[in-house]
Amino acid sequence: MRRARAGLALAVLLWGGAAGAEDNPYIAVPGAEFRSALPSGGQENVRVRSFLLQRHPVTNEEFLAFVGTHPGWQRGAAPEILAGAGYLGAWAGPLDFGPGAARAQPVTEVSWFAADAYCAAQHARLPDWYEWELAAAASASARDARSDPAWRQQLLDWYARPGGKTLPAIEQRPANLYGLHDLHGLVWEWVRDFSSLLPADADPEKFCGSGALNVQQKENYAVLMRIAMLGSLRAADTGRLVGFRCARDAGAPP
Amino acid sequence: MRRRRAPGAALASILLAAVCVAADVPTDSVYQLHAQLTTQAARPAGLDLYRGHPALIGMFYGSCPAACPMLITALKVYESRLDESSQARLRVLLVSFDAARDTPAELDRLARLHRSDPARWTFSSAPEADARRIAALLGVSYRRLPGGDFDHSLKITLLDEDGRIVASTTTLVGDRHFLAQLRAATQAQTR
Repeated sequence: MRRARAGLALAVLLWGGAAGAEDNPYIAVPGAEFRSALPSGGQENVRVRSFLLQRHPVTNEEFLAFVGTHPGWQRGAAPEILAGAGYLGAWAGPLDFGPGAARAQPVTEVSWFAADAYCAAQHARLPDWYEWELAAAASASARDARSDPAWRQQLLDWYARPGGKTLPAIEQRPANLYGLHDLHGLVWEWVRDFSSLLPADADPEKFCGSGALNVQQKENYAVLMRIAMLGSLRAADTGRLVGFRCARDAGAPP
Repeated sequence: MRRRRAPGAALASILLAAVCVAADVPTDSVYQLHAQLTTQAARPAGLDLYRGHPALIGMFYGSCPAACPMLITALKVYESRLDESSQARLRVLLVSFDAARDTPAELDRLARLHRSDPARWTFSSAPEADARRIAALLGVSYRRLPGGDFDHSLKITLLDEDGRIVASTTTLVGDRHFLAQLRAATQAQTR
Protein backbone atom coordinates (compact mmCIF):
# COMPACT_ATOMS: atom_id res chain seq x y z
CA MET A 1 0.00 0.00 0.00
CA ARG A 2 2.76 2.36 1.00
CA ARG A 3 4.71 1.44 -2.13
CA ALA A 4 1.69 2.07 -4.28
CA ARG A 5 1.22 5.50 -2.72
CA ALA A 6 4.89 6.31 -3.24
CA GLY A 7 4.57 5.19 -6.86
CA LEU A 8 1.59 7.44 -7.31
CA ALA A 9 3.42 10.42 -5.86
CA LEU A 10 6.42 9.74 -8.08
CA ALA A 11 4.23 9.41 -11.13
CA VAL A 12 2.59 12.73 -10.37
CA LEU A 13 5.99 14.37 -9.98
CA LEU A 14 7.16 12.95 -13.28
CA TRP A 15 4.09 14.12 -15.14
CA GLY A 16 5.16 16.82 -17.54
CA GLY A 17 2.18 17.20 -19.83
CA ALA A 18 3.45 15.16 -22.78
CA ALA A 19 1.45 12.07 -23.68
CA GLY A 20 4.04 9.37 -24.28
CA ALA A 21 3.29 5.77 -23.35
CA GLU A 22 5.33 6.13 -20.15
CA ASP A 23 3.06 9.00 -19.17
CA ASN A 24 0.04 6.81 -18.63
CA PRO A 25 1.00 5.28 -15.30
CA TYR A 26 -0.92 2.65 -13.39
CA ILE A 27 -2.64 4.22 -10.39
CA ALA A 28 -3.56 2.24 -7.28
CA VAL A 29 -7.24 1.81 -6.48
CA PRO A 30 -7.74 0.21 -3.04
CA GLY A 31 -10.14 -2.72 -2.88
CA ALA A 32 -13.59 -2.25 -1.42
CA GLU A 33 -16.96 -3.77 -0.70
CA PHE A 34 -19.01 -2.13 -3.33
CA ARG A 35 -22.65 -1.81 -4.31
CA SER A 36 -22.68 -2.30 -8.06
CA ALA A 37 -25.41 -1.20 -10.43
CA LEU A 38 -25.32 -4.74 -11.80
CA PRO A 39 -27.19 -7.55 -10.08
CA SER A 40 -24.62 -9.58 -8.15
CA GLY A 41 -26.17 -12.98 -7.61
CA GLY A 42 -28.47 -12.00 -4.77
CA GLN A 43 -25.69 -10.40 -2.77
CA GLU A 44 -25.89 -6.83 -1.57
CA ASN A 45 -22.28 -5.96 -2.30
CA VAL A 46 -19.48 -7.20 -4.49
CA ARG A 47 -15.92 -7.44 -3.25
CA VAL A 48 -13.39 -5.73 -5.52
CA ARG A 49 -9.74 -6.44 -4.80
CA SER A 50 -7.11 -3.72 -4.93
CA PHE A 51 -5.95 -3.12 -8.48
CA LEU A 52 -4.13 -0.63 -10.66
CA LEU A 53 -5.73 1.36 -13.44
CA GLN A 54 -4.15 3.56 -16.08
CA ARG A 55 -4.46 7.25 -15.39
CA HIS A 56 -6.17 8.13 -18.65
CA PRO A 57 -7.62 6.36 -21.69
CA VAL A 58 -4.95 5.08 -24.08
CA THR A 59 -4.13 7.83 -26.58
CA ASN A 60 -3.51 7.76 -30.33
CA GLU A 61 0.18 8.28 -29.68
CA GLU A 62 0.35 5.37 -27.25
CA PHE A 63 -1.58 3.09 -29.61
CA LEU A 64 0.64 4.09 -32.53
CA ALA A 65 3.70 2.91 -30.58
CA PHE A 66 1.92 -0.44 -30.06
CA VAL A 67 1.01 -1.06 -33.70
CA GLY A 68 4.56 -0.04 -34.63
CA THR A 69 5.91 -2.99 -32.68
CA HIS A 70 2.93 -5.31 -33.35
CA PRO A 71 2.41 -5.18 -37.13
CA GLY A 72 -0.35 -7.79 -36.94
CA TRP A 73 -2.52 -5.14 -35.28
CA GLN A 74 -2.01 -2.47 -37.92
CA ARG A 75 -5.04 -1.37 -39.87
CA GLY A 76 -5.26 -3.58 -42.96
CA ALA A 77 -3.29 -6.37 -41.29
CA ALA A 78 -5.60 -7.16 -38.37
CA PRO A 79 -8.04 -9.93 -39.37
CA GLU A 80 -11.62 -8.75 -39.73
CA ILE A 81 -12.92 -11.29 -37.23
CA LEU A 82 -10.81 -9.56 -34.55
CA ALA A 83 -11.11 -5.96 -35.72
CA GLY A 84 -14.19 -4.89 -37.68
CA ALA A 85 -14.39 -2.72 -40.77
CA GLY A 86 -14.04 0.62 -38.96
CA TYR A 87 -10.85 -0.33 -37.12
CA LEU A 88 -8.70 2.80 -36.65
CA GLY A 89 -10.84 4.35 -39.37
CA ALA A 90 -10.01 7.96 -38.40
CA TRP A 91 -6.30 7.42 -38.86
CA ALA A 92 -4.62 8.63 -42.06
CA GLY A 93 -2.70 5.36 -42.46
CA PRO A 94 -1.66 2.18 -40.68
CA LEU A 95 1.27 3.94 -39.01
CA ASP A 96 0.02 7.51 -39.08
CA PHE A 97 -2.86 8.89 -37.10
CA GLY A 98 -2.71 11.97 -39.30
CA PRO A 99 -4.36 15.36 -38.95
CA GLY A 100 -7.80 13.92 -38.16
CA ALA A 101 -6.65 12.55 -34.81
CA ALA A 102 -4.43 14.31 -32.30
CA ARG A 103 -1.76 12.45 -30.39
CA ALA A 104 -3.24 13.24 -26.97
CA GLN A 105 -6.79 12.24 -27.91
CA PRO A 106 -8.05 8.87 -26.71
CA VAL A 107 -7.65 6.24 -29.40
CA THR A 108 -11.09 5.08 -30.51
CA GLU A 109 -12.41 2.74 -33.19
CA VAL A 110 -10.49 -0.11 -31.58
CA SER A 111 -12.12 -3.50 -31.11
CA TRP A 112 -12.19 -5.35 -27.80
CA PHE A 113 -9.65 -7.81 -29.24
CA ALA A 114 -7.27 -4.97 -30.16
CA ALA A 115 -7.64 -3.35 -26.74
CA ASP A 116 -7.07 -6.74 -25.10
CA ALA A 117 -3.93 -7.27 -27.20
CA TYR A 118 -2.61 -3.78 -26.36
CA CYS A 119 -2.97 -4.44 -22.64
CA ALA A 120 -1.47 -7.92 -22.91
CA ALA A 121 1.58 -6.35 -24.60
CA GLN A 122 1.89 -4.10 -21.53
CA HIS A 123 1.73 -7.13 -19.22
CA ALA A 124 -1.64 -5.80 -18.22
CA ARG A 125 -5.28 -6.55 -18.94
CA LEU A 126 -8.53 -4.71 -19.44
CA PRO A 127 -10.27 -3.81 -16.17
CA ASP A 128 -13.29 -5.83 -15.15
CA TRP A 129 -16.59 -3.99 -15.04
CA TYR A 130 -16.70 -3.93 -11.21
CA GLU A 131 -13.21 -2.44 -11.12
CA TRP A 132 -14.09 0.21 -13.65
CA GLU A 133 -17.34 0.99 -11.88
CA LEU A 134 -15.61 1.29 -8.50
CA ALA A 135 -12.96 3.64 -9.90
CA ALA A 136 -15.59 5.68 -11.74
CA ALA A 137 -17.76 6.12 -8.64
CA ALA A 138 -15.25 8.55 -7.15
CA SER A 139 -15.47 12.30 -7.40
CA ALA A 140 -12.55 14.57 -6.63
CA SER A 141 -13.33 14.37 -2.93
CA ALA A 142 -15.26 11.14 -2.23
CA ARG A 143 -14.65 7.46 -3.00
CA ASP A 144 -18.32 6.91 -3.66
CA ALA A 145 -20.01 10.06 -4.88
CA ARG A 146 -22.88 8.26 -6.56
CA SER A 147 -25.50 9.54 -4.17
CA ASP A 148 -24.22 13.11 -4.37
CA PRO A 149 -26.82 14.99 -6.44
CA ALA A 150 -24.34 17.63 -7.60
CA TRP A 151 -21.87 15.04 -8.87
CA ARG A 152 -24.63 13.05 -10.50
CA GLN A 153 -25.88 16.14 -12.28
CA GLN A 154 -22.36 16.90 -13.48
CA LEU A 155 -22.16 13.44 -15.04
CA LEU A 156 -25.51 13.81 -16.74
CA ASP A 157 -24.45 17.19 -18.12
CA TRP A 158 -21.34 15.62 -19.59
CA TYR A 159 -23.29 12.78 -21.18
CA ALA A 160 -25.94 15.15 -22.50
CA ARG A 161 -23.40 17.40 -24.18
CA PRO A 162 -23.63 17.06 -27.95
CA GLY A 163 -20.71 15.19 -29.45
CA GLY A 164 -18.30 17.55 -31.14
CA LYS A 165 -16.49 16.82 -34.37
CA THR A 166 -13.22 16.18 -32.60
CA LEU A 167 -12.61 14.46 -29.30
CA PRO A 168 -11.00 16.57 -26.60
CA ALA A 169 -7.52 15.61 -25.41
CA ILE A 170 -7.05 13.56 -22.27
CA GLU A 171 -6.66 15.12 -18.80
CA GLN A 172 -8.40 18.39 -19.53
CA ARG A 173 -10.51 17.94 -16.40
CA PRO A 174 -9.40 17.44 -12.79
CA ALA A 175 -8.56 13.95 -11.61
CA ASN A 176 -10.81 12.05 -9.24
CA LEU A 177 -9.84 11.11 -5.70
CA TYR A 178 -7.51 8.34 -6.87
CA GLY A 179 -5.76 10.53 -9.42
CA LEU A 180 -7.60 9.00 -12.39
CA HIS A 181 -8.79 11.14 -15.28
CA ASP A 182 -11.58 10.97 -17.84
CA LEU A 183 -13.59 8.03 -16.53
CA HIS A 184 -16.61 10.12 -17.46
CA GLY A 185 -17.23 12.67 -20.13
CA LEU A 186 -14.73 11.66 -22.79
CA VAL A 187 -15.14 8.16 -24.25
CA TRP A 188 -16.78 4.84 -23.47
CA GLU A 189 -14.26 2.24 -22.37
CA TRP A 190 -14.02 -1.47 -23.06
CA VAL A 191 -13.95 -3.73 -20.01
CA ARG A 192 -12.68 -7.31 -19.94
CA ASP A 193 -16.09 -8.82 -19.18
CA PHE A 194 -18.15 -6.45 -21.37
CA SER A 195 -20.11 -9.32 -22.90
CA SER A 196 -21.27 -10.64 -19.53
CA LEU A 197 -22.82 -7.51 -18.07
CA LEU A 198 -26.33 -8.54 -18.90
CA PRO A 199 -27.72 -11.80 -17.53
CA ALA A 200 -26.82 -14.69 -19.80
CA ASP A 201 -30.43 -15.22 -20.79
CA ALA A 202 -31.28 -11.54 -21.26
CA ASP A 203 -32.46 -10.35 -24.60
CA PRO A 204 -30.51 -7.11 -25.24
CA GLU A 205 -33.59 -5.58 -26.81
CA LYS A 206 -35.52 -6.16 -23.64
CA PHE A 207 -32.78 -4.75 -21.47
CA CYS A 208 -34.13 -1.24 -21.56
CA GLY A 209 -37.60 -2.52 -20.76
CA SER A 210 -38.47 -5.32 -18.39
CA GLY A 211 -34.91 -6.66 -18.24
CA ALA A 212 -33.80 -3.40 -16.70
CA LEU A 213 -35.68 -4.41 -13.57
CA ASN A 214 -32.74 -6.67 -12.80
CA VAL A 215 -30.43 -3.72 -12.55
CA GLN A 216 -29.96 -2.04 -9.22
CA GLN A 217 -29.68 1.70 -8.65
CA LYS A 218 -31.98 2.70 -11.43
CA GLU A 219 -31.29 6.34 -10.64
CA ASN A 220 -27.68 5.93 -11.71
CA TYR A 221 -28.38 6.72 -15.36
CA ALA A 222 -24.86 7.54 -16.43
CA VAL A 223 -23.61 4.10 -15.44
CA LEU A 224 -26.68 2.33 -16.79
CA MET A 225 -26.13 3.96 -20.18
CA ARG A 226 -22.64 2.52 -20.17
CA ILE A 227 -23.85 -0.97 -19.28
CA ALA A 228 -26.46 -0.88 -22.02
CA MET A 229 -23.97 0.42 -24.57
CA LEU A 230 -21.26 -2.12 -23.73
CA GLY A 231 -23.81 -4.91 -23.64
CA SER A 232 -24.87 -4.08 -27.18
CA LEU A 233 -21.37 -4.38 -28.65
CA ARG A 234 -19.66 -7.38 -30.15
CA ALA A 235 -15.96 -7.91 -29.53
CA ALA A 236 -14.89 -7.08 -33.09
CA ASP A 237 -16.95 -3.87 -33.15
CA THR A 238 -15.31 -0.49 -33.24
CA GLY A 239 -16.91 2.78 -32.29
CA ARG A 240 -16.09 6.42 -32.78
CA LEU A 241 -16.46 6.95 -29.03
CA VAL A 242 -15.22 3.62 -27.73
CA GLY A 243 -11.70 3.54 -26.31
CA PHE A 244 -10.07 1.77 -23.37
CA ARG A 245 -7.44 1.84 -20.66
CA CYS A 246 -5.56 -1.05 -19.06
CA ALA A 247 -5.45 -2.45 -15.53
CA ARG A 248 -3.20 -4.68 -13.48
CA ASP A 249 -3.62 -6.75 -10.36
CA ALA A 250 -2.15 -4.98 -7.35
CA GLY A 251 1.20 -6.53 -6.57
CA ALA A 252 1.75 -7.73 -10.14
CA PRO A 253 5.24 -6.91 -11.44
CA PRO A 254 5.18 -3.91 -13.80
CA MET B 1 30.37 -20.07 -35.23
CA ARG B 2 28.56 -22.63 -37.28
CA ARG B 3 27.10 -24.20 -34.17
CA ARG B 4 25.82 -20.86 -33.03
CA ARG B 5 24.18 -19.93 -36.27
CA ALA B 6 22.27 -23.15 -36.81
CA PRO B 7 19.67 -22.72 -34.05
CA GLY B 8 18.95 -19.20 -35.28
CA ALA B 9 18.38 -20.44 -38.80
CA ALA B 10 16.15 -23.23 -37.53
CA LEU B 11 14.18 -20.74 -35.46
CA ALA B 12 13.83 -18.42 -38.43
CA SER B 13 12.44 -21.19 -40.59
CA ILE B 14 10.02 -22.21 -37.85
CA LEU B 15 8.83 -18.62 -37.52
CA LEU B 16 8.52 -18.36 -41.30
CA ALA B 17 6.48 -21.56 -41.38
CA ALA B 18 4.20 -20.20 -38.65
CA VAL B 19 3.63 -17.00 -40.62
CA CYS B 20 2.89 -18.94 -43.81
CA VAL B 21 0.34 -21.16 -42.10
CA ALA B 22 -1.31 -18.14 -40.51
CA ALA B 23 -1.53 -16.43 -43.88
CA ASP B 24 -3.70 -19.26 -45.20
CA VAL B 25 -6.39 -18.78 -42.60
CA PRO B 26 -9.22 -16.61 -43.94
CA THR B 27 -9.45 -13.21 -42.31
CA ASP B 28 -12.98 -13.97 -41.07
CA SER B 29 -11.98 -17.29 -39.49
CA VAL B 30 -12.03 -17.88 -35.75
CA TYR B 31 -8.72 -19.69 -36.31
CA GLN B 32 -7.17 -16.21 -36.54
CA LEU B 33 -7.19 -16.29 -32.76
CA HIS B 34 -4.13 -17.96 -31.30
CA ALA B 35 -5.35 -19.57 -28.12
CA GLN B 36 -3.64 -22.24 -26.04
CA LEU B 37 -5.86 -25.14 -25.12
CA THR B 38 -5.00 -28.18 -23.04
CA THR B 39 -6.79 -31.37 -24.05
CA GLN B 40 -8.04 -34.33 -22.03
CA ALA B 41 -4.85 -36.10 -23.13
CA ALA B 42 -2.85 -33.26 -21.47
CA ARG B 43 -1.64 -32.11 -24.87
CA PRO B 44 -1.40 -28.47 -25.94
CA ALA B 45 -3.66 -27.60 -28.85
CA GLY B 46 -4.80 -24.56 -30.77
CA LEU B 47 -8.36 -23.56 -31.48
CA ASP B 48 -7.62 -24.79 -35.02
CA LEU B 49 -7.13 -28.35 -33.76
CA TYR B 50 -9.78 -29.57 -36.21
CA ARG B 51 -8.89 -27.40 -39.15
CA GLY B 52 -9.78 -29.24 -42.34
CA HIS B 53 -13.01 -30.60 -40.88
CA PRO B 54 -16.41 -29.08 -40.26
CA ALA B 55 -16.58 -28.70 -36.50
CA LEU B 56 -18.98 -27.93 -33.69
CA ILE B 57 -17.61 -25.90 -30.83
CA GLY B 58 -19.11 -25.16 -27.43
CA MET B 59 -17.95 -23.69 -24.14
CA PHE B 60 -18.72 -25.21 -20.74
CA TYR B 61 -17.32 -25.97 -17.30
CA GLY B 62 -17.09 -29.46 -15.91
CA SER B 63 -18.57 -28.99 -12.45
CA CYS B 64 -21.67 -27.35 -13.89
CA PRO B 65 -24.69 -29.13 -12.42
CA ALA B 66 -27.22 -29.04 -15.25
CA ALA B 67 -26.66 -26.72 -18.19
CA CYS B 68 -23.33 -28.13 -19.35
CA PRO B 69 -24.41 -31.79 -19.45
CA MET B 70 -27.34 -30.47 -21.49
CA LEU B 71 -24.92 -28.79 -23.90
CA ILE B 72 -22.93 -31.98 -24.33
CA THR B 73 -26.09 -34.02 -24.78
CA ALA B 74 -27.35 -31.53 -27.36
CA LEU B 75 -24.10 -31.88 -29.30
CA LYS B 76 -24.54 -35.64 -29.31
CA VAL B 77 -28.15 -35.35 -30.44
CA TYR B 78 -27.28 -33.05 -33.34
CA GLU B 79 -24.46 -35.39 -34.28
CA SER B 80 -26.77 -38.41 -34.15
CA ARG B 81 -29.07 -36.79 -36.71
CA LEU B 82 -26.34 -37.02 -39.36
CA ASP B 83 -25.71 -40.03 -41.57
CA GLU B 84 -22.62 -42.10 -40.89
CA SER B 85 -20.33 -40.53 -43.47
CA SER B 86 -21.24 -37.02 -42.28
CA GLN B 87 -20.61 -38.03 -38.70
CA ALA B 88 -17.20 -39.32 -39.74
CA ARG B 89 -16.34 -35.89 -41.18
CA LEU B 90 -17.60 -33.89 -38.21
CA ARG B 91 -15.39 -32.93 -35.27
CA VAL B 92 -16.51 -31.60 -31.89
CA LEU B 93 -14.46 -29.30 -29.66
CA LEU B 94 -15.51 -28.40 -26.14
CA VAL B 95 -13.63 -25.63 -24.35
CA SER B 96 -13.86 -25.18 -20.59
CA PHE B 97 -13.40 -21.72 -19.12
CA ASP B 98 -12.61 -23.27 -15.74
CA ALA B 99 -9.02 -24.40 -16.31
CA ALA B 100 -8.32 -24.54 -12.57
CA ARG B 101 -10.82 -27.31 -11.93
CA ASP B 102 -11.06 -28.85 -15.40
CA THR B 103 -7.67 -30.51 -15.38
CA PRO B 104 -6.81 -33.04 -18.12
CA ALA B 105 -7.78 -35.85 -15.73
CA GLU B 106 -11.17 -34.25 -15.11
CA LEU B 107 -11.69 -33.60 -18.83
CA ASP B 108 -10.79 -37.21 -19.54
CA ARG B 109 -13.32 -38.37 -16.95
CA LEU B 110 -16.01 -36.25 -18.63
CA ALA B 111 -15.11 -37.53 -22.08
CA ARG B 112 -15.49 -41.11 -20.84
CA LEU B 113 -18.66 -40.31 -18.93
CA HIS B 114 -20.28 -38.99 -22.10
CA ARG B 115 -18.80 -41.81 -24.19
CA SER B 116 -17.56 -39.46 -26.84
CA ASP B 117 -15.40 -40.77 -29.66
CA PRO B 118 -11.86 -39.57 -28.78
CA ALA B 119 -10.90 -39.60 -32.44
CA ARG B 120 -13.49 -36.94 -33.22
CA TRP B 121 -14.28 -35.23 -29.92
CA THR B 122 -11.91 -33.17 -27.79
CA PHE B 123 -12.56 -31.85 -24.30
CA SER B 124 -10.19 -29.01 -23.53
CA SER B 125 -9.67 -26.08 -21.21
CA ALA B 126 -8.28 -22.61 -21.81
CA PRO B 127 -6.52 -20.24 -19.41
CA GLU B 128 -8.68 -17.30 -18.38
CA ALA B 129 -7.38 -14.72 -20.84
CA ASP B 130 -7.76 -17.13 -23.77
CA ALA B 131 -11.17 -18.33 -22.57
CA ARG B 132 -12.37 -14.71 -22.58
CA ARG B 133 -11.08 -14.25 -26.12
CA ILE B 134 -12.71 -17.43 -27.38
CA ALA B 135 -15.99 -16.51 -25.68
CA ALA B 136 -15.84 -13.05 -27.25
CA LEU B 137 -15.22 -14.61 -30.64
CA LEU B 138 -18.13 -17.02 -30.38
CA GLY B 139 -20.51 -14.63 -28.63
CA VAL B 140 -20.67 -16.72 -25.46
CA SER B 141 -21.11 -14.71 -22.28
CA TYR B 142 -20.03 -16.00 -18.92
CA ARG B 143 -19.41 -14.63 -15.46
CA ARG B 144 -17.70 -16.23 -12.51
CA LEU B 145 -20.05 -16.13 -9.54
CA PRO B 146 -18.82 -15.60 -5.99
CA GLY B 147 -19.42 -19.27 -5.10
CA GLY B 148 -17.14 -20.53 -7.88
CA ASP B 149 -19.87 -21.45 -10.31
CA PHE B 150 -20.37 -19.69 -13.61
CA ASP B 151 -23.35 -17.94 -15.07
CA HIS B 152 -23.08 -18.48 -18.81
CA SER B 153 -24.97 -18.67 -22.05
CA LEU B 154 -25.27 -21.92 -23.95
CA LYS B 155 -24.32 -21.79 -27.58
CA ILE B 156 -23.22 -24.26 -30.22
CA THR B 157 -21.26 -22.86 -33.13
CA LEU B 158 -20.72 -24.62 -36.45
CA LEU B 159 -17.42 -23.92 -38.20
CA ASP B 160 -16.44 -24.81 -41.75
CA GLU B 161 -13.13 -26.47 -42.64
CA ASP B 162 -11.30 -23.15 -42.38
CA GLY B 163 -12.88 -22.01 -39.12
CA ARG B 164 -15.46 -19.63 -40.54
CA ILE B 165 -18.67 -19.45 -38.57
CA VAL B 166 -21.41 -21.06 -40.64
CA ALA B 167 -24.20 -21.05 -38.08
CA SER B 168 -24.84 -21.09 -34.38
CA THR B 169 -27.71 -22.00 -32.13
CA THR B 170 -28.77 -21.38 -28.57
CA THR B 171 -31.63 -23.85 -28.99
CA LEU B 172 -30.21 -27.04 -27.60
CA VAL B 173 -32.95 -29.28 -28.87
CA GLY B 174 -34.50 -29.33 -32.30
CA ASP B 175 -33.22 -26.22 -34.09
CA ARG B 176 -34.17 -27.47 -37.56
CA HIS B 177 -32.51 -24.61 -39.38
CA PHE B 178 -29.25 -25.28 -37.56
CA LEU B 179 -29.53 -29.01 -38.27
CA ALA B 180 -30.03 -28.31 -41.97
CA GLN B 181 -26.87 -26.21 -42.02
CA LEU B 182 -24.98 -28.89 -40.10
CA ARG B 183 -26.11 -31.48 -42.66
CA ALA B 184 -25.01 -29.27 -45.55
CA ALA B 185 -21.64 -28.51 -43.98
CA THR B 186 -20.85 -32.18 -43.37
CA GLN B 187 -21.90 -33.47 -46.82
CA ALA B 188 -19.16 -34.85 -49.06
CA GLN B 189 -17.70 -32.06 -51.17
CA THR B 190 -18.99 -32.47 -54.71
CA ARG B 191 -16.57 -30.02 -56.25
